[in-house]
Amino acid sequence: MRQHFSVFKDESKLDINYVPSRLPHRDTQLNLLNQFFRSVIETPGKTAQRALITGNIGTGKTVLSQHFGLQVIKEARDKSVNLYYVHVNCRECKGSLFMILHQVISKFHPNFPRRGYSATEILQMLIQVLDAKNVFVILALDELDALIRNEGSDPLYNLSRIQEGRLNAPQRLSLICILRETGYLDSLDPSTRSTLQRNIIRLEEYSKSQLRDILNDRVDMAFRPSAVPSSVVDFVAELASSEGGDARYAIELLWRAGKHADILQLPAISPENVRTAAASVYPTVRKDEVLSLGVHEKLFLLGVARYFKQIGSAYVSVGAAEEAYAVVCEEYGRKRLRHTQLWKYMKDLAASGIIETKPSGTGQRGQTFMISLPKVPAEDLERELVKFLSVLRR
Amino acid sequence: MAIEEVLSSKGRVRILRILSNIGELNISEIARRAGLNYTTTNEHLIALERSGLILHKKFGRIRIFRFNESNPRAEMVRKLVDLWEQTK
Repeated sequence: MRQHFSVFKDESKLDINYVPSRLPHRDTQLNLLNQFFRSVIETPGKTAQRALITGNIGTGKTVLSQHFGLQVIKEARDKSVNLYYVHVNCRECKGSLFMILHQVISKFHPNFPRRGYSATEILQMLIQVLDAKNVFVILALDELDALIRNEGSDPLYNLSRIQEGRLNAPQRLSLICILRETGYLDSLDPSTRSTLQRNIIRLEEYSKSQLRDILNDRVDMAFRPSAVPSSVVDFVAELASSEGGDARYAIELLWRAGKHADILQLPAISPENVRTAAASVYPTVRKDEVLSLGVHEKLFLLGVARYFKQIGSAYVSVGAAEEAYAVVCEEYGRKRLRHTQLWKYMKDLAASGIIETKPSGTGQRGQTFMISLPKVPAEDLERELVKFLSVLRR
Repeated sequence: MAIEEVLSSKGRVRILRILSNIGELNISEIARRAGLNYTTTNEHLIALERSGLILHKKFGRIRIFRFNESNPRAEMVRKLVDLWEQTK
């Protein structure tokens, strides 16, 4: 039997959820976070801290927070402080405070009921749980824009005010808010905004040489020796730097290039592998983004992608998109959702930038919205979605 | 409460088995898993709590039940249930 050769040593080191032990070029920001949350470890319960991390896609917001989380838990354990770091992605929780808080409570009570109480009640319950267990929590709210978009400024207001009513009781909940665009802060009420803006960490885009350092770290961990020539690392860094210094894009590109090299049974990645990979990774619509969508959002998107593939026009009306979605639902044996729910999903997809919508204007009978796929070819999107949806067919 | 009052009830033994397997649960979920209605489950839980075998914590309107680890009887019953399950 022919032995299968792979350029990879450990693919998991290129995974989106992997938190490396070293964060190149983010030392200052990590120190800043440590400074902000010093009091949480040194005088637990005396104060609760809030910090805001902002920056473009792939500037290391999530990894910075998670890395800090690992560090701070270790430090707290050494000092016998019962501190937990809980990282929640608001987009994956559909921007619902209830789901976010439920995820936090589930860390302590895995079978905590999902129904029968409101978001305000669950916030009170969370504090009761923390009191009962005598623990302190640093809650990182990743992609906070999803929460603000969905529920406005109330959740953050409630989160930051819940402890103010507890005079002389320990302050148990600290917050790290992670946000791509600070513009969302304008929709918060002034007092919440000012408390968040007090401790702000802005992450600048990575330069080409910084990206090279990051990639070199990952290459050492994930690939066999000499499987990735330095010219390839340079090339990937160059491409990612032209995409706005996006490290996540760079790492995914490297992973895909490795996959292409494996398919061709090459001993090392070539620039051609990188070019092929670059054609299949779209910096604006990524695997994790598509993966985190719900089943019907994926089915709707697949309907839209197929429509564009067949018709070849730039826009599709909401009505036609819903028809295309209905066909896809039939194919996958799912009951189609009605207009109102689909409309909500469509808004979410538009907000995340996967699709774009605009009012129909003149030339179209009646009033409707027109959907377009601005950043990714319909065929590629279809291929990705079919791959993700294949589990439904089993 | 006498031991026969605990162990002669199918419902109570089911609840003990569920709590032994899962660790801790709220009343609706216990009822669902045990195939009992809410009122019956509640009555069994009250009886078991009175016997000292289980206890509950209240978070808002939610009551979460679990074995009373500080009670040696509860530990013995739990071990019995575990052993019974393992050697099926």
